[in-house]
Amino acid sequence: MPESHRPNGHGFTCQEVVAIASEYLEGAMAPEQMTAFEVHLNFCDGCLRFIDQMRETTALAHSLSDDEIPAELKSELLAVFRDLRRE
Amino acid sequence: MTAYKFLTADGLGLFSRFPWPLPHGGPGAWVDSEVEPCRAGIHACRARDLPYWAAPELYEIELDGPIDELELKIVAPRGRLLRRVDAWDASAVDDYGRMCIARAAELVAAAPSVLGDWAPTGVPPPESARLGYIVARMAEELGGVAAHLEERRRQSAWLVERLSLA
Repeated sequence: MPESHRPNGHGFTCQEVVAIASEYLEGAMAPEQMTAFEVHLNFCDGCLRFIDQMRETTALAHSLSDDEIPAELKSELLAVFRDLRRE
Repeated sequence: MTAYKFLTADGLGLFSRFPWPLPHGGPGAWVDSEVEPCRAGIHACRARDLPYWAAPELYEIELDGPIDELELKIVAPRGRLLRRVDAWDASAVDDYGRMCIARAAELVAAAPSVLGDWAPTGVPPPESARLGYIVARMAEELGGVAAHLEERRRQSAWLVERLSLA
C-alpha cells in the first residue's frame, strides 16, 4: 500500500487508488488513508465508477455458489489465477 | 451537534450509497450505526471540511452521542437530516465554479512560468469538488502543502459566506 506523506486533503493519485482499491472495498485500510481515498473519489468520476464497478462485481461473485460455475470454466479460472500469482 | 452532510442527487450517501431518510416538513428519521471511523458510523463534516466533500445535495445534520473529530470529517453513532441547505443550488454551484476559475486565473497570473499550462479556459463545469481540488493543487505548486491547505480554507470561507452557514 502506498504510504501517503501528504495531508488527507491532498488525496491520492488515480494510480494509487487503483492499486489499493481492494483494500478499500475490504475495509482493510487505515482510517486516515480511507479519508484521503474518499476525497479522491469525490472529485474523480473515473475512479468512483471504477470502485462502484468493483463493488458490484464483488457482490455478484459472492452471490454465486460453486454449483453455478461450470466445472470447465472453474478450472480455467483457477488456472488463470494460478498464473497471475506466478507473474 | 449540528454539522453538514453532502448526498448524491438521489439522496444517497456519497460512498456508502445509503438511502438517507430525507427531511420533509421536519427532520428525517434518526439513523443509528456502530462507530468505526471511515468504515461505519454517521459521517458528516464541519464547515471547514465542506470543499473536500462537495456534491449535488447539502443537508444540515444533527448528530447525537459521542462524536469523533477527525481530519476532514466527524463521526457519530446517530444522526438525522435536519434540513436541506437550499442555498446550495445550481446558482451557488455555478458561482463556486466561477470563483474557482477566477482564483485559478489569479494563480496563473502570479506565476505564469510555473502554472502557464494550468490556465483555465471556458465556462466552469458544475463539478465543485474537482474544481476546488484543482485550484488547491495549483496553489500547492507555488507554495507547497501549506498553500494547498490555505486554498482549501479560502474555499470553505467562501462556501460558509455564500450559503449563510453558521
